[in-house]
Amino acid sequence: MGVAITRQWTGYAAAVRLGWAVSSNWTRPILFIVYSVLRPVSMALILAVMYTVITGNAAATRPYLAFLIVGTAFWSFIQEGVSEFATGILEDRGRYHILKYSYMAPLGFPIFLIGRATSKLASAAASVVIVLLVGTLALHLDISPLRVDYPLLVAACLLAFVSVIAFAITLSMVLLAGRDLHGYGEIMAQFLYLFSGAIFPISVLPGPIAWLASLSPLPYWLELCRRAIMHGQAYLMFPNLSDGEVFLRLVAATAGTLLLGYVLYRMADRRARRLGYIDMEANW
Amino acid sequence: MARTHHPSSDTSRLAVETRRLTRVYKTRRELTTALQDVDLEVGEGELFGVLGPNGAGKTTLIKILVTLLLPTSGQAFVDGLDVVTDYKRLRSRIGMVSGGEQAGYGILKVREQLWMFSQFYGMDSTAARKRIDELLERLGLSDAANKQITGLSSGMRQKMNLVRGLMTDPRVLFLDEPTVALDVSAARDVRSEVRRWMREDPTRTVILTTHYMQEADELCDRVAIVNRGRIVAEGTPRALKQSVDDDVIVDLQLDPGTPVLDRLRAIEGVGAASVREEDGVDRFSLMLADDGVLPRVMTTVEGAGRHVSGLVRRQPTLEDAFVKLVGRSMTEEEA
Repeated sequence: MGVAITRQWTGYAAAVRLGWAVSSNWTRPILFIVYSVLRPVSMALILAVMYTVITGNAAATRPYLAFLIVGTAFWSFIQEGVSEFATGILEDRGRYHILKYSYMAPLGFPIFLIGRATSKLASAAASVVIVLLVGTLALHLDISPLRVDYPLLVAACLLAFVSVIAFAITLSMVLLAGRDLHGYGEIMAQFLYLFSGAIFPISVLPGPIAWLASLSPLPYWLELCRRAIMHGQAYLMFPNLSDGEVFLRLVAATAGTLLLGYVLYRMADRRARRLGYIDMEANW
Repeated sequence: MARTHHPSSDTSRLAVETRRLTRVYKTRRELTTALQDVDLEVGEGELFGVLGPNGAGKTTLIKILVTLLLPTSGQAFVDGLDVVTDYKRLRSRIGMVSGGEQAGYGILKVREQLWMFSQFYGMDSTAARKRIDELLERLGLSDAANKQITGLSSGMRQKMNLVRGLMTDPRVLFLDEPTVALDVSAARDVRSEVRRWMREDPTRTVILTTHYMQEADELCDRVAIVNRGRIVAEGTPRALKQSVDDDVIVDLQLDPGTPVLDRLRAIEGVGAASVREEDGVDRFSLMLADDGVLPRVMTTVEGAGRHVSGLVRRQPTLEDAFVKLVGRSMTEEEA
């Protein structure tokens, strides 16, 4: 058992190195780090400028600015996670023609995919910190590292991590059906953007869509992040629910996502083997 | 159908077994049967060749056996494990190398990529590095070990992929056209390494698909000839060649002119005929029932206005057995 876990770990670590090499190979490490930092910061600043222009930075709208910045900061995790899994699997098939060999390896394909995407997830985690820092220093949000409710934040983020990975792996397997799917991971991530409560509360969505969004773990996760970091100074999507109730909803939605993801992954995997998608010639 | 087992292999323990294995590809317009009721038994320790023209079903068979593709019906077992239900356990026991493809992360160095795959297979890191260096040395790739994969020639890349397949010491190694598009020297190195790898452990099994009859003849303990998804013959290369021993094999070289292949095939006593163009001349290979058929062949050729520039009678080869069984040469398109 111990040996098996060690082997899985070393295989995972090798996949992490691979992911880093592939995602950072287009430039020198220092430029890659600058790019990784500037990207989320510029996204947050664009939203902040839009907010300022629209609201005139009125004091009454400050909770919404906090809502926006925290949502955007944590959103990069979903953006990078979802798109990197899909990009990795499609790039390995269409560009490097090596997916079948990774798929056949005893490591286990989901572990390979997680390793392959880990460097991007780590870069997303760093960008969370950077965006919050920008929010504090440039936009004067009242964020203090000493007042963050870390147990709540870590617990919520762990559950969200599991959900996002389950969703991303399943989506990647489903996308194997297409021959020309470059960028679809990013499109899916943007699609989720609208239903996650990252930039506006899900209650503003039309009824059935708001109901669907409420089944996803993402709004509960972002709500808990805002509560843990901002202590009531951010606009709340679920003001009538306590932290514990939101957390319970996050647990239930994560369990549902995991179950659905597992079933869909098994189906997509079997379909890929039935129809020969793993080594299908695909455009890149 | 001839079926003989190689005496050195342990056929009591099967490395590969298929039972009525069938694979049908569905498209919107049609159904294509790539494999039809294939029954195959390969003993542990055998180097088994699968021969067939393009589209015969060879690669489909390999894909099913390495768990990349599901069969439509029938069963397949590799190292005693069902490829459909036991595929997770099976994957640590098998390896695959496909020829003619540019597989590899171009940005990685040769040694890096190989080490990475060794880790996906759970190898000890130090042992893996030692094994990789040993195999790179044996295949003449030591100098390229620290080169980026994008900088490799296709021959070097193919050898690197062979190292990837060999280094994990699979129980059964599947080689799908491993020497296709390689120059003579690189192909020789690959064949030589495969032989050496099998000698290291007599229980290792190799399933090889190839277009090259000489390669199959030289390497394989037994071969199966696949045509239109079915196994049409199976046996040792020697036994298959003996199946055309009673025939007279003639190579006929004609200067360019009117096509005559169909006319030659129509002559009574011509068992099989194939042609390939080489250096501006047509080289026909004819299988005649006896010497008495030759005058009729010459009359037909002259009647078509073709000039004979060479005529040789020779010993039968595996290619001749293939042509007799399949009705065309490996490279000839199906009519």
